[in-house]
Amino acid sequence: MNQPLAGFAPAPVTARMENHGNHMLKVAMQTGNDLLARVGSMVAYEGFVQYEPNPPAVRQIAKDWLTGEGAPLMKCSGDGLLYLADYGANVVVINLNGDGISVNATNLLAFDAHLTWGVERVKGLAKFAGQGLWNTRISGQGWVALTSRGKPIVVDCGGGDDETYVDPDALVAWSPNLKVKGKRSFRAQSLIGRGSGEAYQMAFSGQGIVVVQPSEDSTDRLRVRG
Amino acid sequence: MAREFQRGHKARISDLTAGTDLYVGVQISGPGLTFDISCFGLDADERLSDDRYFIFYNQPKSPEESVQLLGAQAGDTESFRVTLDRIPQQIRKLSFTATLDGAGQMSQIGPGYIRIVAGGEEVARYPFNGSEFSTERAVMLGDFYFKDVWRFAAVGQGFDGGLDALLRNFGGEVAEDEPAAPQQPQAAAPGFAPPAQAAAPPAFGVPAGGPAPAPAPAPAPAPTPAAPAPQPVAQGFAPPPGATPPPAPAPPAPPVHTAPTIVAPMHTPPGGSPVPPPAPAPAPYGQPGQQPPYGPGPGQTAPPPPGYAAQPQAPQAPAPPPGYGQPTPPPGYGQPTPPPGYGQQQPPGQMPGQPAPYGAPQGAPQGAAPQGPGVLGALQQFKETPTGQRWTQQNKKLVRVDLGVGEQPVLARQGSMVLYQGKVDFSYKGAGFTGRIVGNATGQEMQLMRCTGKGQVFFAENSTMLHPIELQGDAVCVSAENVLAFDESLQYEVRRIEGHGIPGGALFTMQFQGTGTVVVKTHGVPVVLPVTPTTFADCNAVVAWSAASQVVVSSQVRMRRNSYPGDTGESVNLQFRGAPGNFIVVQPYEI
Repeated sequence: MNQPLAGFAPAPVTARMENHGNHMLKVAMQTGNDLLARVGSMVAYEGFVQYEPNPPAVRQIAKDWLTGEGAPLMKCSGDGLLYLADYGANVVVINLNGDGISVNATNLLAFDAHLTWGVERVKGLAKFAGQGLWNTRISGQGWVALTSRGKPIVVDCGGGDDETYVDPDALVAWSPNLKVKGKRSFRAQSLIGRGSGEAYQMAFSGQGIVVVQPSEDSTDRLRVRG
Repeated sequence: MAREFQRGHKARISDLTAGTDLYVGVQISGPGLTFDISCFGLDADERLSDDRYFIFYNQPKSPEESVQLLGAQAGDTESFRVTLDRIPQQIRKLSFTATLDGAGQMSQIGPGYIRIVAGGEEVARYPFNGSEFSTERAVMLGDFYFKDVWRFAAVGQGFDGGLDALLRNFGGEVAEDEPAAPQQPQAAAPGFAPPAQAAAPPAFGVPAGGPAPAPAPAPAPAPTPAAPAPQPVAQGFAPPPGATPPPAPAPPAPPVHTAPTIVAPMHTPPGGSPVPPPAPAPAPYGQPGQQPPYGPGPGQTAPPPPGYAAQPQAPQAPAPPPGYGQPTPPPGYGQPTPPPGYGQQQPPGQMPGQPAPYGAPQGAPQGAAPQGPGVLGALQQFKETPTGQRWTQQNKKLVRVDLGVGEQPVLARQGSMVLYQGKVDFSYKGAGFTGRIVGNATGQEMQLMRCTGKGQVFFAENSTMLHPIELQGDAVCVSAENVLAFDESLQYEVRRIEGHGIPGGALFTMQFQGTGTVVVKTHGVPVVLPVTPTTFADCNAVVAWSAASQVVVSSQVRMRRNSYPGDTGESVNLQFRGAPGNFIVVQPYEI
């Protein structure tokens, strides 16, 4: 009976964070090595793992996250295997190894608690699409997992002054050293219902990469569920 | 009890077992993947100076038979017999490698292992799985090496370039093994021979070739999707060819199917020769690449859980080689077999008791590094694929157009741009007065924008799968809501399909004609059907069809429609008729 399902058994752990398939994240939890994960992203765990939603430390760092209901992060601690997922979104695992990355708030799934991180509002873009664009900047030695609706694409900005323009709804993450600015491409005529549908873009320039998902659906499913 | 090795672990063989006549088993498998497992006998400089010590299916033993290839048995994909004390002086290292045969990459492999069995008892095992690798096409699994005494090292190092890179690594015979390169992606039997022959014609009895031309760079896996089909990989391996072409090819099928299938027909006018849809079908079946894993014996099917199947039949199935009987097969192998099945789950199992396997901070992070560490390394696999072409499919759900190539604007669904580079201007594309009237009346209305300028634009929408269809003077019908973008050079018009029983009196569709590319989106993996005398499709699920086929409405279930108010079940079916070569595209999603 198990035969067809046997192929989906967890593979042996080889790293702190790994993909289980494309859409699930497997984290090897360990005492003293806590994890911050999106509230509601846990789908399974094995072992002794405890969850603390909205821990004080997070509240401190993310105090200006205008959520009205506290930071959407929970602290997971303990020993075992933790499986996270976000409504079937693709999961991308990154070993930072000293690098940094800026992640769109809705695309952040989990990261090591000992990493340096902070919440910032994207400069120059006061209110995007009504929700405001918040991003989390993470750096240090450790692991980060992102979500992406569909297999993402990584584009090199190429350095120099050439700008790469991204639809904010499709943006997943970018290198923190890139210069970001907002661009409004709408003209007067787009105000009377004849826009190209691409009213705002974010312009990136400098050395670094931009990660984009093949979907303009930036709905925060985990949050919606409450 | 077997000692479990992890990547990088080393041990003296004498610490593992007193024996020197060892059985080395390698189990490696993955859905739709085939592997060549070989052993390189290297000298003190780690070079393949004597190619008679390159042990693979074509040369199953070294001259003095100190290393022999035994074939699949006892749950192992491949096995060797190594007699350490007969290995000559000049051979100081035996490197066991697995090379992918056909399309695929190492990250797709399931849990596998390399193990050492002495006297019928497993003494060492190094388990690995696909998560330790990424796009590599070859992997060095483990080494026997001589340093004062013979030792074993669990290596687990992947090679991007596959066999080519391996040979380069071992032999440095790069110039000579050039011929290997072209085949390397499909590798396996044919891929293997050339390099060997290049190295030592006499030994391999394939003096045939001056090196073939085509010195393709190793990693280019370009021909992969289609390649596996015609590849007569099996010839070399000659596994019981009866091995049923298993249904397993399913996994590779979708990519084959989605990407090229739709594109392919477009290069030939729909009236033309090859019926596109059949193409994917032969691929899975013809794919002999499947066989080796399944071939070795009916008992040893199911690659992922080798333990299950292997246990009962395996020992007897592939006649243990002569002289190797001493580790009495049934008890000897029977005993190590359970681990394969369970071994994979072992770590989780142990977890509550001993958190050792999770040695995350020390062992894990650097131990894993399937791709280089750091943000760039982790994201390497998602890099944009550069080409000089106008339309490039970046992955199944993203398409890039280079406006500089062809110098003509692109019309795209409004809001479908996710990213662009360069100077691109997006402007509203009106349908014109008549266009709006028609659009409103028929529902075949497209909210378009015109992208002009110079630069690259990436299109995607809602994670739908995208299929660029290249038209060369022919035509295709697509319902308007499934159009993502197209070259402005294409002419399009609304076409009407008449038939009784259709709500509203008629169905409408967009017909694109001319020379250029139209990008069609589908929810999910579509099916492309050849138009036969009896081809029907739900009018809500059909996405596109070649315009040369004739559409007839056939509403078969109207009886039920009358008995309920509202819509019940299958309302309108479309029947397609046309010459061979026409096709329809249906998505698994009814709008």
